[in-house]
Amino acid sequence: MTEAIALESTPPVGLLARLARLLPGIALLFVIGYAGKVSEQVLRRYGTAHHLALPNIEYVLWAILFGLIIANTVGVAQVFRPGIATYEVWLKSGIVLLGARFLLGDVLKLGGISLALVAIELAVAIGLMTVLGRAFKLKPKLTSLLAVGSSICGVSAIIAAQGAIEADDEDATFAIAAILALGAFGLFTYPVLGRLLHMSDHAFGVWAGLAVDNTAEAVAAGALYSDAAGKVAVLTKSTRNAMIGFVVLGYALYWAARGQAHQVANKAAFVWQKFPKFVLGFLFISLLATLGAFHKAEISSLANLSRWAFLLTFAGVGLKTDFRELRKQGVRPFVVGALAELFITIVTLGLVLGAAALFHL
Amino acid sequence: MSNGSRRISLDWWTVIAALAAAALIKAGLIPNVPW
Repeated sequence: MTEAIALESTPPVGLLARLARLLPGIALLFVIGYAGKVSEQVLRRYGTAHHLALPNIEYVLWAILFGLIIANTVGVAQVFRPGIATYEVWLKSGIVLLGARFLLGDVLKLGGISLALVAIELAVAIGLMTVLGRAFKLKPKLTSLLAVGSSICGVSAIIAAQGAIEADDEDATFAIAAILALGAFGLFTYPVLGRLLHMSDHAFGVWAGLAVDNTAEAVAAGALYSDAAGKVAVLTKSTRNAMIGFVVLGYALYWAARGQAHQVANKAAFVWQKFPKFVLGFLFISLLATLGAFHKAEISSLANLSRWAFLLTFAGVGLKTDFRELRKQGVRPFVVGALAELFITIVTLGLVLGAAALFHL
Repeated sequence: MSNGSRRISLDWWTVIAALAAAALIKAGLIPNVPW
């Protein structure tokens, strides 16, 4: 996963200075996320007080909307950017903590079903994006980045692949903007489609985890549907993320064979380096919970801490999604991404509905 | 972790932070996290 804001272990003074640079952005994430939480409560109380049947708009949606509005109108000042980039830290910490709410047996059962569906989704997404990229005459490495982003885990996968296949910064920036914009679109439409199709919480969670590209948006889409769907979306998306090393390795070997990227000396080390370590943390906490290491109140505290971490994450999703970035490479790559996403949405929906019927999700 | 530059990746930081929080809750130093 991304190393973009990796923190050096030494020297201590440098570390403190780096942490100080993060504070304004983290404070902004908290303010926006908390404003989302307050908005949800205020709307609910207003509806109750005035006997109005107002829709229950979750803090998730408010936080993302507030972030989107700021990022795409007044913009985000430079002083906030390092801290906003920490939204991935909060996301992954939140996922690790969420492990306390899973028994390992459930993880293995649902993870096994998810793994089979993920394998099919990967093949469809990579194949489709490659065909569409050629048909629309996109730059080959941009096509590779879009394929990695749409098949695995969005932004992190694109950053990992950019270094491995030596793609241009411009292509990576566009691919990230496209994946985030498409993810934002999915975030607003998937829960509506799920309700229309009367999908169960489990089935919807698997679908969100399979079809929504960026991890934060997949978690948000699940959480918008229901708490249970959010949990399942995290698990399915983490299964998908675990495949990142293999897919990026495949692309690295492909471009190295064409003399347009470095050779990969040690393939096992390459896969381990790209493997998302937070998945191991999630499994470890889940193992502890399964062994009874936490009592009920502790699990509740861990789950609430996870919610606070996600609150910061969702604010970051909105703030990082800048639709203006999409204009820089024209409409063609975005159309390719959107067409592929539409097809992936339909295929994964079919897969999930089939799996739901077979395994009673 | 990579050997040469002694950098800890973002992923490991997230795991360390989450496990530290879990340990604090388990030890009773954070008795109750409200939502």
